[in-house]
Amino acid sequence: MSLSQRPWLYFGPAALAAGAVGVALTLTSDHEEHPGFTIALALFVSMSFVFAGLIGWTRRPTNRTGMLMVAVGFGVLATSLYEANYALPFTLGNLVGSLFIAAFVHLLLAYPSGRLISRYGRAIVVSAYATAFLAPLLDSMFPEQHTCKPHACPDNLVFVSHNHAAHVAETAVWTTVAVALFAGAFLLLIGRWRRATPALRRQLRPVYLAGGLSVLLLAVGFIVTPFSGVGNTVVSIALIVTFTAVPFLFLAGLLGTTLARSAGVDAIFTSVPERASPGEVQEGLRVALRDPTAQVAYWYEEGGHYVDVDGNRFELPTDTRHRVVTSLDYADSPVAAIVHDPALREEPELLAAITSAARIALERDKLLVEVKARAERYRAVLQAMPDLMFRIARDGTYRGYNAPNERDLLSEMVVGRKVHERLPQELADRVLAAGQAAVDRGTPQMIEYALDFTGETRNYEARFAASGEDEFLMIVREITERKRQQEELQASRARIVAAGDDERRKLERNLHDGAQQRLVSLSLSLRLAQNRVHSDPEGAEQLLDAAREELAQALEELRELARGIHPAVLTDRGLDAALEALAARSQLPIEISGPAGNLPAQVEAAAYYVVSEALANVTKYAQASAVEVKVARMNGIAVVEVADDGVGGADPLRGSGLRGLADRVASLSGKLEVESPPGVGTRVRAEIPLE
Amino acid sequence: MVVTVLIVDDHPSFRASAKTLLEAEGFDVVGEAENGETAVQAARELQPDLVLLDVQLPGIDGFAVADQLRRLEDPPVVILTSSRDGADYGRCIGECGAHGFVPKADLSGAAIAAFFAA
Repeated sequence: MSLSQRPWLYFGPAALAAGAVGVALTLTSDHEEHPGFTIALALFVSMSFVFAGLIGWTRRPTNRTGMLMVAVGFGVLATSLYEANYALPFTLGNLVGSLFIAAFVHLLLAYPSGRLISRYGRAIVVSAYATAFLAPLLDSMFPEQHTCKPHACPDNLVFVSHNHAAHVAETAVWTTVAVALFAGAFLLLIGRWRRATPALRRQLRPVYLAGGLSVLLLAVGFIVTPFSGVGNTVVSIALIVTFTAVPFLFLAGLLGTTLARSAGVDAIFTSVPERASPGEVQEGLRVALRDPTAQVAYWYEEGGHYVDVDGNRFELPTDTRHRVVTSLDYADSPVAAIVHDPALREEPELLAAITSAARIALERDKLLVEVKARAERYRAVLQAMPDLMFRIARDGTYRGYNAPNERDLLSEMVVGRKVHERLPQELADRVLAAGQAAVDRGTPQMIEYALDFTGETRNYEARFAASGEDEFLMIVREITERKRQQEELQASRARIVAAGDDERRKLERNLHDGAQQRLVSLSLSLRLAQNRVHSDPEGAEQLLDAAREELAQALEELRELARGIHPAVLTDRGLDAALEALAARSQLPIEISGPAGNLPAQVEAAAYYVVSEALANVTKYAQASAVEVKVARMNGIAVVEVADDGVGGADPLRGSGLRGLADRVASLSGKLEVESPPGVGTRVRAEIPLE
Repeated sequence: MVVTVLIVDDHPSFRASAKTLLEAEGFDVVGEAENGETAVQAARELQPDLVLLDVQLPGIDGFAVADQLRRLEDPPVVILTSSRDGADYGRCIGECGAHGFVPKADLSGAAIAAFFAA
């Protein structure tokens, strides 16, 4: 069984034995004026340090503070050797009588871990031990002329001389060194206090208060001792009080931790509500750990990272002097982590008790936070979507919404209102019916509707999906533009069909009224001629002449009609030749530029009809003197332009001809523009993609 | 007895040809009309035995004219004619009160006389 595991076993009896020796030496001393008081004080102080130290040592075997306190206690007991009536213990007592002061400085500078962490601190402690041994040695070698009362002092085994100068010199040197060391230690304590985190200060406060004061008083005592007996007494009494307080304050701190631990566990289990949110649990932990900056991070299994109480991704910091991480694992898998003040590591019982209590709560919360993290992700996805979104209870109450475009909202008052308060009656009925159907049947629903905003009507499409047992999501997308394009497309298709029907009707009429009539006449003339060929050959010949004339006209009409249906020259010789033919038939001078080369047949046909219709309009309305026709390829687009120098003022929407052309061009994904400012002329421009 | 005929057609060339043809075959063409309204008027005034009536007339068409003609006090025989085929008009020809249909290209005194005799 090792010393560190059972310090009581060794140091308890040792302290009692040393105390007994001290009592014997003091009470039998023939050079101690106040043996009772002296031994009582020595025992009180030393035993306080020893036993407080042993309690600390047992509680915190890895913390050296307890050990150092035991050392201070034994150091105080060692001063009793001075009371011995024999030369050797008396001399030894003189030499080791100050070591407890060095141990005390060591204890203070190493508090609360018991280990010296700074080089500066180690230097002071080493110097203090050296001084605590060398100063009494030199003082014993060159002591002041003084006599012990009531009897003579025992022999001083290291005595050299009573040289006054030597005594004054060594006293001055050691006083200076001691004061410097005390001042150094004091400054170190102040520096550490200033850098300490709130939790560390809480630990340091009582011990530093008493210990720091003791160091200060020791320094003051060293300075005033040579000059003032009264001052020395006052400082000594104050010193005894502060010095003796240290072990009690230390013990109080230790017991305080125990109390805090149970209070902390209690806080986790009672003060935090049973169905606490992760935020409340974090708050409870902060109270329990007495660290207002502590943070709880939950392990988010799905994401493979930690998240904070709000579900946001959280990177654990690396341990620093200000923040450390304590991980909470369960069956080798991470549950959570607590980022806290490193000072809490000095209260491992507190931390352990609280974290194991917290683990249960956190394990439960982990699920909650995972759900929250997932919700957070969905929220991010939803926010990135361009759609207006509402979460609506089954009874029609809005529970939340996301509006990327505020202009889509009829009013900004949403949450808590009912659909019937925000939407027109008929629409609200449809919304509620579709939402309830989505919830009841579990299948998404969709409606389309239009809303009148100031000055415009906008079309929307709303989709409904169940988002809980008693609520649904309504996802709204504006489809005004799509609707407009759809309507435009439908209208355009209808016009193309109507134009086709119209063309056919016209064609039938033209055939009927023209060529067909002529052929009927021809047939009748031939029958007449046939009847007369014998009786009236002359009349028959006249009839045949008339018939031939009729036939020639019928042929001409048929040719004209066929050209109207589709110009043969376009099919046979291409757009350039077809445009030349158009120009040749026109009565106006026409300039054609930009041979287009081969274009897709549909594009050539569209281009031909654009030019043909535009030229027909020029002839009919423009009163122009010249026309310019351009056909060009530009960046995969065929551009056809017909410009005249006539009166302008053409309305592209009025005539069915231009409208039909626009539809024809649109059917090839192209566009037709008409510019016709009055007095300037008209420019018809079509752009038709070649692909 | 010479059969009197009223020719109703909006095409003058057809009216002229039909008149020449029918007269050459012994009919007496007593009048011509170029649309439905004047046709009914002329029929009332001239009281022809036969009306050769084009189906496609401007304004009221040949079927409507035939219907009005049969309501006259002494209704004439009405023969519809057209450059189209009779089948193109379905049952209209039978239901409007006309006595028959002759395609324009097949017009002859014999074709008319066949209906008239019947």
